[in-house]
Amino acid sequence: MTEFLTNRRLLLAGAAALAGSSALPRVAFAQGAPIRIGTLTPLTGAGGPYGPVMVKAVKAVIDEVNAAGGVLGRKVELISEDDQTNPEAGVRAARKLIDVDKVSAILGTWASSVTTAVAPLCWESKTFLCTTSGADSITALPHQGYLIRTQPTTTLQGKKFGEFAIEQKAKRVFFLSPQTPFAKSQFDNITLAVKAADGETASLIYDDKKPAYRTEIDEAMRFKPDAIVFGGYTPDTAVMLKDLYRADFKGTKIAFGYSVNQKLVESVPAEVVDKTYMISPSPAEGSKAYEKLVKLIGVTSPDPYTTQIYDHINLVLMAIALAGDSSGEAIKNNLRKVSQASGGAKIDNAVDGLKAIAAKQAIDYDGASGPCDFTEIGDITDSKFRYEQVQGGKIALVKIA
Amino acid sequence: MTLILQALINGLMTGALIAVPAIGFSAIFAVLRYPNFAIASYATIGAFAAWWANTTLGLPVIPSLALAFAVTGVVGVLSEETALKRLRDNGALIVAIASIALNLVLENIVRFIFGNDMKGYDLPLARDLRFGELRIGPQQLQSLALSVAIMAAMFLFLRYTRFGKAMRAVADNPDLARLKGIDPARIAIVTVFLGAGLSGVGGVLIGLDTSIDPLTGYRVLLSVFAAAVLGGLGSIPGAVVGALALGMAEELALIVVPATYRTAVGFVAILLMLTIRPRGILGERAS
Repeated sequence: MTEFLTNRRLLLAGAAALAGSSALPRVAFAQGAPIRIGTLTPLTGAGGPYGPVMVKAVKAVIDEVNAAGGVLGRKVELISEDDQTNPEAGVRAARKLIDVDKVSAILGTWASSVTTAVAPLCWESKTFLCTTSGADSITALPHQGYLIRTQPTTTLQGKKFGEFAIEQKAKRVFFLSPQTPFAKSQFDNITLAVKAADGETASLIYDDKKPAYRTEIDEAMRFKPDAIVFGGYTPDTAVMLKDLYRADFKGTKIAFGYSVNQKLVESVPAEVVDKTYMISPSPAEGSKAYEKLVKLIGVTSPDPYTTQIYDHINLVLMAIALAGDSSGEAIKNNLRKVSQASGGAKIDNAVDGLKAIAAKQAIDYDGASGPCDFTEIGDITDSKFRYEQVQGGKIALVKIA
Repeated sequence: MTLILQALINGLMTGALIAVPAIGFSAIFAVLRYPNFAIASYATIGAFAAWWANTTLGLPVIPSLALAFAVTGVVGVLSEETALKRLRDNGALIVAIASIALNLVLENIVRFIFGNDMKGYDLPLARDLRFGELRIGPQQLQSLALSVAIMAAMFLFLRYTRFGKAMRAVADNPDLARLKGIDPARIAIVTVFLGAGLSGVGGVLIGLDTSIDPLTGYRVLLSVFAAAVLGGLGSIPGAVVGALALGMAEELALIVVPATYRTAVGFVAILLMLTIRPRGILGERAS
């Protein structure tokens, strides 16, 4: 798992980078307005640990591309906004990116609730949206092709959670989750997998703004579960784990990798979270793009969302280059031509991609998060999952499958 | 039966946690006549101050609490004097809105200093004690004892000290108090120091039970406000009664309605109270 920098350090680094960018060698750009790309990541709120690193990855790619002469001879500009992991703040920031900054694409919306709120603004203004949210409902929106996601659907994730619980010899699986756009689908798909093995499931949807969940835990314990699946984010899951420990729950605990992360493990006593399993979509560790990203941002094992947004920016810039036009519509019509052209040259970063496009080669991008091939409605076709477990205060890899 | 008893016990515990910042909120309302929503960030600041004392200086709970009280009290007085004081003549609504803005500013200052990540106190976690079918957490009992002690101290302060009496006098009738030679400006400072300090302590108590992040105080703001309204805005014992009633109502409601609607219980309680008895349970003044 990643050693995240604190925000303050990132802020300072960002400020220093901004101050230093004027000292970089000047690349002569041809005439033309800059191409503007917006990031809308959670810099604060439950997604706070991820957003700043995501922005860092995008900035690194844009700097590299600009140093190599930009796209279509134009400079690429990054405008970063904070969605606060909150739909309302996300909509406000998206309006600013679309109406004021006139960005070609928005990258990196993280929480499904935020993506669901922001997506209509994007397709109505013909702004392209790349997201890392998993709720099934997102690609079912009438987005007319203005949306892709690099995160596997909840249907797939729920199935993996259910199957894993069965593998751990669980027969009675309880799902504890706050109200999210993916809670229902997650539970339905866990249930399908568990029922297929003659198991039983039950669920409780809680309010994630409470200081304690003792009564909720009582209700869960009455089901006599031998596995509990957590559907929440880091702050509420931490409280749940503590209350479960107090209630002496001895069964299997399974959570999303983004909620039981290094930060959570450090912030609660070791015995509270010990032996908890985490499941998350796996980045394509060992792939060329992944190695390049590690070098680029200097983070040893970037989280899945950082690998995904790295792929977003590469794909968007290459699609603009192929189209010869920076509009959202141009990105929509050309994205799949750079992500999955059959028989195309395998490309793992935008700078090489731009050269290949200039040389009139067909390209097939394989990214840091996976092969990055998209269906008609914008879902990825293939994803591996990473299974981890907390062992003695450390996060250990169990398997990638 | 066990179900209801357990819910009542759980409610008593959460109620006692909410009661402490609710007292602070009510005290400020009683003397200064406006709802100070910045108490959410005061609670967060208190939680972080105590966390720092606990993890960096290695202090145990009680000294960390004392430090949190002092730090938050000072922050409260400084923000009151710089941001809110000037607006007081323009009516309660203006100050209330400014306090929401102040809340955002303070919350983000906490973010800037401590970052955005979750933190936990360096304290061992204990398993619950079991009495037959019922379970009670030793930590919750400790928090309960702490909040009872704080409430008792507050009560004695108001009852027997000169400042306490002066605060009550200003709350009852500011003009009369001024004629009697009480300086309202000084009383305002003491009240804000106490109110903010108590919110800070409340933040620590909540953090002890859970974990802390920059939104810790914001999450409980509605419950605190609901407790104060329920008990009667401006009444200190009312804040306590309101918090306990709200805590129990929320937990009992879980038995019959889905847990998602827990927050709605707070709203419904406010609605019913304002409809049936606008002054609140123990409110004296019709505001």
